[in-house]
Amino acid sequence: MNSSPFNSPPERINFERSLRRLERDVLRMGALVEQSFRLCHQSLFNRDLAAAEEIPLIDKQIDQLYRQIELDCAALITLQAPVAQDVRLLSAYMQLVRDLERIGDYAQDLAEISVKLFPYPPHAYLSEIATMSHQAQAMLGMSLVALADLDAEAGSRVKQQDDVVDTAYETFYQRLAGQRDIQGVVEPILLLVLVIRHLERMADHATNIGQRVAYIVTGHRS
Amino acid sequence: MSLVQFLIGLLIGLAFSLFWRMRFNQKLKRLLLALEIPGIDSALPLISRLRRGVTLANEQRQLLESEIQTWQEILQIAPCGFLMVDEENQLIWCNEQARQMLNIDRWEPGQVRLLLELVRSYELDVLIDQTRHQQQPIKQEWLFHTTYSNTETGEYQEHLIPKSLTIRATSLPLSKGRVGVFLENRQALVELSQAQNRWVSDLAHELRTPLTSIRLVAEALQDRLEPPLSRWVERLLPEVNRLISLVQDWLELSQLETDSSNHLRRQPLDLHTLICSVWQSLEPLYNAKNLKFNYFGPQSLSIEADESRLYRVFLNILDNSIKYSPEAGEIRVVFNIYPETGIPQFVEINIIDCGPGFPMSDLPYVFERLYRGDPSRKRQTTSTTESEGTIKSTTTGSGLGLAIVRQIILAHGGSVTAKNHPQTGGAWLKIELPFEKSVND
Repeated sequence: MNSSPFNSPPERINFERSLRRLERDVLRMGALVEQSFRLCHQSLFNRDLAAAEEIPLIDKQIDQLYRQIELDCAALITLQAPVAQDVRLLSAYMQLVRDLERIGDYAQDLAEISVKLFPYPPHAYLSEIATMSHQAQAMLGMSLVALADLDAEAGSRVKQQDDVVDTAYETFYQRLAGQRDIQGVVEPILLLVLVIRHLERMADHATNIGQRVAYIVTGHRS
Repeated sequence: MSLVQFLIGLLIGLAFSLFWRMRFNQKLKRLLLALEIPGIDSALPLISRLRRGVTLANEQRQLLESEIQTWQEILQIAPCGFLMVDEENQLIWCNEQARQMLNIDRWEPGQVRLLLELVRSYELDVLIDQTRHQQQPIKQEWLFHTTYSNTETGEYQEHLIPKSLTIRATSLPLSKGRVGVFLENRQALVELSQAQNRWVSDLAHELRTPLTSIRLVAEALQDRLEPPLSRWVERLLPEVNRLISLVQDWLELSQLETDSSNHLRRQPLDLHTLICSVWQSLEPLYNAKNLKFNYFGPQSLSIEADESRLYRVFLNILDNSIKYSPEAGEIRVVFNIYPETGIPQFVEINIIDCGPGFPMSDLPYVFERLYRGDPSRKRQTTSTTESEGTIKSTTTGSGLGLAIVRQIILAHGGSVTAKNHPQTGGAWLKIELPFEKSVND
């Protein structure tokens, strides 16, 4: 992306162009996953069921992009035999789209949970869990920016944020699991445990994306 | 001998030099032609003509450059956002407004970067692709969400929860696969209309309680007062009732608008029975006018819908029809099922009266809040209600009737249109309700 199109052989220009197209698809997928996350947040914490209905459609697009990017990456690696940063970029893309796709799947799960949670009155912890969800979303946003800028430092910074989400998961788990004298059914509590679990996993995948960006740039796995 | 040799050498040298000279001049002429600058005096020597040509070309270029500069400055301070991408969706240029609207803070003029690297908006990227593909301008409105990463570190902070903006984009295809996009911030407008609706529904909510108390007091007074004093209370009561049902209508309408499909209680029901029971309930009204009710369609038509809401729909429409029908007129209800063969997709409900119909100029507005037909005719009806006291309309003519009809039908996933019937000249309301839901559930 940083070499000029002048004095390069035509194959190189072609390769650059396919790389750029690939990058665009990855970023598009990132934008869709972010949107999906945002919608599941709305349906969970703002009781907006219409948002939950949109997610399956977006998920279909995400899956489609996922498959396409994987194929394109494989084709580029085998046909163009790239070297150094380019091959790191392609192999990192292949794994990174998996992470993105997983986050999308978790978002869909969360939307389903929000539908099940809807009949129950809002739980006391819900607003605090919303903060956790915001944190996870911020991490996803950060990792996508790091990816767009190919900024290794920003990629590694996502990991620091992950500790915050992990701690939040741990405390919420203790508080939810330790509840006594529950009146009525336990389903809302079970569902909330699933929610924090999913959020924690999503944050983990966002961390992975950040680290893969660091790997693309530096070539070291941390 | 040596002199002859010298002369031959000189001649050959001269011939060569002349030949080169001619070729050089020809090249110069071609160059001059390539410059394509008219108005150069052909009498001048070639070199000066060339020099003049180059100067003119330079001047022209500077002129064009300053022109471009001017246009860019105009776009820069334009009140709407503008951005331009090349054929690979890389941002070439954008103005200050677009930067602020889309939070493009990691881009410097002159840099070429993928638009998606700077603005993570799937909608915008797809819009640009579509424009390039179809080669025609497209208009689109969507909710743009600013990202969390606008802070230095991207860390989550309580007060930095991302905001959303309603943005309307108008894209236009440019040469060489480039695409320009104009961006308008519609957030203020959207918020204004939401605030307006909320204001009205809050007001209606606040009015309901005191109005109910007033009615109770008036009812209590009615029994205790003797004529002629009781006449005052008797005039007061219907007015209070009208106000109460107006407030109720507002509340129902705003409830329907905020969460349309969530509040429906769908259950299987028979449309024919439903519309007949609505007609029965209106008996005192149509008897007074000697109206005829004609039904065309299947004797039983099962559909899954919210019964009380659909009852409301038919009540509002039939009540209007009765109000505007002439003495001894006919009200026709026609049910059609489409497609006629195979699995039925939707039912079409036509309600036609023989009244004066909607004024042509009002047709686009009949479903809007507070719409009422011809004001003069409206007042007429009110006065007859007051003077005779016998003909009382169930809906109060609040001007919300058809607005409620439309919201209910929309919540059911259907559509409703209003026009005038070509034969009777009266109002013709056509409702389409899908069967689909009942098949799925």
